Amino acid sequence: METYYIGLTGLVFSFLLLLIPLVISYYLKLKLISATVESVVRMVLQLAFVGIFLTFLFDLNNSILNILWVLVMVFVASHTVLKNAELKTRSILPMLIISMAIINYSMLLYVNRFIIDLDDLFDARYLVPIAGMVLGNSLRANVVGMENFCTEIKRNENRYLFSLSMGAEKTEAVIPYLRKSMRVALKPTIANMATIGIVFIPGMMTGQILAGASPMVAIEYQIVIMIVIYVTTMVNLLFGILVLIHKGFDDYGMFKKEILRGS
Amino acid sequence: MDLLRIQHLSVRYDGKDILSDFDLNVAKGDKIVIKGRSGIGKSTLFRLIMGFNIPDSGIMSLDGVPMDHDTVWDIRKKIAYVSQDTDIGEGIVSGLIDEIFSFRANRDVLDKEKLYEILSILSLQRIILNKEYITLSGGEKQRIALAIALLSGKDIFLLDEVTAELDIVLKQKVVDLFFGNPEWTVLAISHDREWENFVPANSGNNMGKGIRIIDFPEVTN
Repeated sequence: METYYIGLTGLVFSFLLLLIPLVISYYLKLKLISATVESVVRMVLQLAFVGIFLTFLFDLNNSILNILWVLVMVFVASHTVLKNAELKTRSILPMLIISMAIINYSMLLYVNRFIIDLDDLFDARYLVPIAGMVLGNSLRANVVGMENFCTEIKRNENRYLFSLSMGAEKTEAVIPYLRKSMRVALKPTIANMATIGIVFIPGMMTGQILAGASPMVAIEYQIVIMIVIYVTTMVNLLFGILVLIHKGFDDYGMFKKEILRGS
Repeated sequence: MDLLRIQHLSVRYDGKDILSDFDLNVAKGDKIVIKGRSGIGKSTLFRLIMGFNIPDSGIMSLDGVPMDHDTVWDIRKKIAYVSQDTDIGEGIVSGLIDEIFSFRANRDVLDKEKLYEILSILSLQRIILNKEYITLSGGEKQRIALAIALLSGKDIFLLDEVTAELDIVLKQKVVDLFFGNPEWTVLAISHDREWENFVPANSGNNMGKGIRIIDFPEVTN
């Protein structure tokens, strides 16, 4: 099987498609024209950069460089989580980066060693894309979960205080909030897993099939990736909230509202 | 010895003095009613005692132990605090009660028979235990919180407007319940007359010292 390269003409035709949302936005006054243009430009620039960068990374395939690049990904993911969850980065970011780094490196090594059984555990062609899929999904769940934890504890402060006044330790008093935010954040991932293949064919599988792999190989990878994503997402989420619990309360057990943005 | 000592307590909130050089000594068995206009900061006093707000200056101690970020956790285990807007949580009432009595500090304290007894004193039917907490009326939520406080086995109570949403008969019942036990130390913030009009049955006895009424001090800037 061979891969058909899209090439410049193909890209021009795909940009032509963008006229449809622009025209719709213009006539319905959706005010999405500038946002659409900006997003497309950003996407193209970022992907162009990543394309060049990954070519360089794959050609070099230096273990240390690959590991460092994953660390950069972890850093950006942690920062994005806090920004989108409306949290201030200063006190929480270092711990979140450490916890996400440990979790994700362990997971990646496990996958590369025991599941794919690579000779080179730090092979860029595996390490980087898998880290991207796992982190991308964790990021979404962590934003939802960490934001939910904070808003719930702020909104239902009286419930938290009642638990404390009934003699709860901090851990006992925050558990209901941890439970709730983890459930809310993990639901989409779980639903995703249950409908995969029928409702939507995931990007990775599509990509592999388009690139010439047989559907069976694509499916094997997809199964592995879904499990890895679910497990890592849950552990990242749990530790993200634990970092919040550790950093987000004062010695008296009061929630520090100053960790929220706009406070 | 005083059970609860508050000395020179001052707290500012949003640039406004709530308490300035406030003193209060409470002995075991005391029954205190705290009065004062709305919004003056009476609830803040209770929140300070529970360590939910931190004073700018002053000392508080319970049983001779000064309150700080370490001891506050033990202090909370000794005091039952119920406020007007207490919120127990989401879910079925009995589940919420079970959760509270699964805390390490309260394990093995829950006595189901006593729970049923308290419910009936507070004119609540047992069926309420199977209802969603969120669907209860204000008065019912209030009484569930009081029942939990009563079941906790503690003997120091901070009650903030807990009878506000109850009818006259129930107001009296709740006052009798808390003020009627000579062993208990009770501080109640309330506009309801029933609290200050309470007459201890055993006034001659050394424990029944009568009710102390404190007019919450107005702080002028």
